[in-house]
Amino acid sequence: MPPFRISAFGQLFRRFASTGAGSVGRQGGASGGGGGGGGGGREARDSIFLHRPLRLIIFTAKYLAFTHLFLEYGFWPSPASGPSMLPTFEVMGEWVLVSKWHRLGRGVSVGDVVAYNIPINDEVGVKRVIGLPGDYVLVNSPESASDAMIQVPQGHCWVIGDNLPASRDSRLFGPVPLALIRGKIIARAKPNWDFQWVRNPLRSPDQPSDA
Amino acid sequence: MATWGGAGRRLKFFGQFTHYLIGYATWLPPLIWFNTSVAQITFISGPSMYPFLNAEYNESRRQDLCLVYKLYARKDLAHGMLVTFRNPDDPYKITVKRVVGLDGDVVRTRAPYPYEYVQVPEGHVWVEGDGDRSKDSNYYGPISARLITGKITHILSPWKRAGRVKWWEHPERPGVQKARA
Repeated sequence: MPPFRISAFGQLFRRFASTGAGSVGRQGGASGGGGGGGGGGREARDSIFLHRPLRLIIFTAKYLAFTHLFLEYGFWPSPASGPSMLPTFEVMGEWVLVSKWHRLGRGVSVGDVVAYNIPINDEVGVKRVIGLPGDYVLVNSPESASDAMIQVPQGHCWVIGDNLPASRDSRLFGPVPLALIRGKIIARAKPNWDFQWVRNPLRSPDQPSDA
Repeated sequence: MATWGGAGRRLKFFGQFTHYLIGYATWLPPLIWFNTSVAQITFISGPSMYPFLNAEYNESRRQDLCLVYKLYARKDLAHGMLVTFRNPDDPYKITVKRVVGLDGDVVRTRAPYPYEYVQVPEGHVWVEGDGDRSKDSNYYGPISARLITGKITHILSPWKRAGRVKWWEHPERPGVQKARA
């Protein structure tokens, strides 16, 4: 009977599950002795978690931490709901993909849709960036009673929902610190699972527009 | 075999080397998670918390080493606590200040702030440094509590001041009308 070989993925898995680099070799050596019994021997070599609760716990912790790292610094898929971005996003059943490369407002420009921590409560909002530090923005809605403008302070941005009457945004809580930006929304899945990239609609004059 | 012996040994060495490297690299994600969400050890720079932190800042270049506890950072905030937060002026800068007012409190402000009294808005805190040369809420106004990343619980480095940060023993700042007792 030819010796049972572990696949490349299995080896990676095994390495992830080990408590340290050294224990991988020892593990292989320990289970190499029991060759009899066909399926039983195979199981003893294959299942690295059998009779090893500590190893299972460590593997789970490493796996969860890796997932957390990916979601925090890579890409973060999330359901989105609410009427505040209405022509762009529907009220219910939307999924968005947040690029965490743009966390803390890195590389965000006017016209981008961002996910941000709402400064006055513990929720996450999705809005469009209207102004960056130094820009002048309307404090209230256009065509409202007041035409007052302010300059967006250093390190802040002005975020507004696309559906002005049904949006609680910078008109309510003022400029949002860039440090509260969780990321930029780069893609969406509509309720019927139709995938679309989310692009910045603003173009420079020399670039032709999509529409 | 004799002619390829050296290359084979080298190959075996690199194979084992990558094996060990990957084995230790799998510990990086848990480490990063621990540092960003549970606890971190950090040096304090600048005189803004003088004389509580960096008490010798005008005598030596040595900086205080502190333990930042980051788990549930925004829970149970109280007057006098030392918190770390992302600077509202610069998202890449982490700042250390003392919590002076919680939401609803009325605070008598200091020099550069344009109004004499301010009520701290919902979900915000008023933070100030202990020293005179502190750029704090009197410059940039109340900060959102969501900027807070952790609390300073222990001083580790100058041995004579090392130990738990007893923020509750710190004298209260006058001119704060607390909304809640």
